[in-house]
Amino acid sequence: MTVKFLFQLFILSWQSLRANLFRSFLTTLGIIIGTTTIIIVVALGEGAKRDIEAQYSNMSVTTILVNAPATDGSPSKLSIDDIPLVKEIPTVAEAVPMLTGKVNIAAGDNTTNFSVVGTYADFAEVANLEFVSGAFFTQEDEDNHNKQAILGATVAEELYGSKTPDVIGETVILGKREFEIIGIAKYRGGAFGPVTIDESVFTPYSSAYRYVLGKNGKFSFNVNASSVETLPATMDALAVVLREAHNIGPSDTEDFRLRDMGATVASAQSSSATMAFLLGSVGFIVLLVGGIGIMNIMYVTVSERTKEIGVRKAIGAKDVYILTQFLFEAFILTAVGFVLGTIIAVGFYYLLLSFDLKIVFVWWSLPLSFVITFAVGMFFGYAPAKQAASLNPIDALRYE
Amino acid sequence: MATKIISLEDVKKSYFIKSEEFSILKGINFDIEKGEFVSLMGPSGSGKSTLLNIIGALDKPTSGKYFIQEKLVSTLVSDQLADIRNRYIGFIFQNFNLIPTLSALDNVALPSFYAGKLVYERAKELLNMVGLSGRFNNRPNELSGGQRQRVAIARALINDPEFILADEPTGNLDSKTGREIIDLISSLKNKHGKTILMVTHDQNLSKITDRVIYLKDGRITNKKSL
Repeated sequence: MTVKFLFQLFILSWQSLRANLFRSFLTTLGIIIGTTTIIIVVALGEGAKRDIEAQYSNMSVTTILVNAPATDGSPSKLSIDDIPLVKEIPTVAEAVPMLTGKVNIAAGDNTTNFSVVGTYADFAEVANLEFVSGAFFTQEDEDNHNKQAILGATVAEELYGSKTPDVIGETVILGKREFEIIGIAKYRGGAFGPVTIDESVFTPYSSAYRYVLGKNGKFSFNVNASSVETLPATMDALAVVLREAHNIGPSDTEDFRLRDMGATVASAQSSSATMAFLLGSVGFIVLLVGGIGIMNIMYVTVSERTKEIGVRKAIGAKDVYILTQFLFEAFILTAVGFVLGTIIAVGFYYLLLSFDLKIVFVWWSLPLSFVITFAVGMFFGYAPAKQAASLNPIDALRYE
Repeated sequence: MATKIISLEDVKKSYFIKSEEFSILKGINFDIEKGEFVSLMGPSGSGKSTLLNIIGALDKPTSGKYFIQEKLVSTLVSDQLADIRNRYIGFIFQNFNLIPTLSALDNVALPSFYAGKLVYERAKELLNMVGLSGRFNNRPNELSGGQRQRVAIARALINDPEFILADEPTGNLDSKTGREIIDLISSLKNKHGKTILMVTHDQNLSKITDRVIYLKDGRITNKKSL
């Protein structure tokens, strides 16, 4: 069979499908939906993955987050006094307290509501903060309870209409107290433990406690183990130290919670992967059903066109010509379904984007859905095509 | 000596149903020579259809030999038979058997496509010849019965076959249209020197042919009364 012959056979298949346009469309509907599903599911999965990565991008895998669980009973004894004890554990590299609480933040005529984070000077290093202007406070500021503030990028934007305002030395009101702005942090996205960096104002721990948050602040701290290997031991040591410091008996429940960020990230990633797999399976099943749809309709077509097949054979069509023609029909149905499905997927993608859904288009979802779609289409198209090709011309001609 | 186009030597055909043998054709011998217009007659159950299928290379005999132009056809396999049907035989059926989704022109050209040399010019000439000049793009359902049979005749001629096999070509037509179709088929012999084998029930039709082959109970008989 020459290329020209194949092309003409292809035209024949196309004409047959066109003669039954609406049915052809219905046949390919399953393929359309399946293709769309796979592409969108992959994009959603990637969006979720990126979202998780962004959320935890600032956390080192050696980080342990210590906070007070939401208890119904007595308040947690977790406090700043635990920090020196924790720092004595040999495998602890750093321990940074965070006292957080939402307060009104005002500058000039603008008032917004964001978190104030009271912390230590080493926070800047631990959280890898960078500055567009100014700098972080120092241990000295901490010791002197200086009323100094570093603004996150979003806070600066809300107050001054710019992520890089020239406001070092100016005053910002946190709650009811005036603080001096000494730094503007660079935009970075993501979170550090309970702190969303861009949406926070950082002050020395003691100043935040004394002047802004007091006992209303939520206290937690980040501990960095010296290495991944020492992480489990550090977790155990932390528990021991904190139980002792808080006078918790061996049978009493802890009033603190230790979260190993590495494990948290891993479990978040694995649950997003599971989700993507589940959704992907749905896409695959839809395609499978679409493929069965193609097979069904093609069987109907073959039996409807039994006579035609008989005529074609009587006037000289070889088995392989008939087979090829019907395979082409399956191919065209699949190809058209794939193209339409892709177009619809792109439409959906932009629609979901406009709803601010976390969705990221991934190029390999196209070849992926292409391969699956065609495998399914041709797999299910083959059996009826083979049946058509192997019809006995005498029986087929006699068929009414 | 005239060329033999069709030659059957002791052709037999049996069917086995639950290991019981039903003999349909019990040894058929005849030749058809180039340019002959022969009619084949026989009552239902005489084995006429079976014989037609064998001559049309749609079926193979259980035993015996079948030659087209001295080429042994009875031993060929499926694809080779398709090739024989395509190049050597032009089929005209009782119920036209056109492809409903194709235009008249595409229907006529289709055998040439399967022969690997699609010839639209010749298809147009043939449609002109059978009197369907303005109907190239009409689908079969837009044509009358007589016009459909004309398309089928044009299709039968497209690959310039060795012989035409016409299976009750007027069976589905009224008598006037039937006569026109028979005139057209006769002209294929008279003007174009085609060899024709026509199956018919109609005594009057068989009279215009050169020779009549009678089939009864799976055998050729000389009795003209059936």
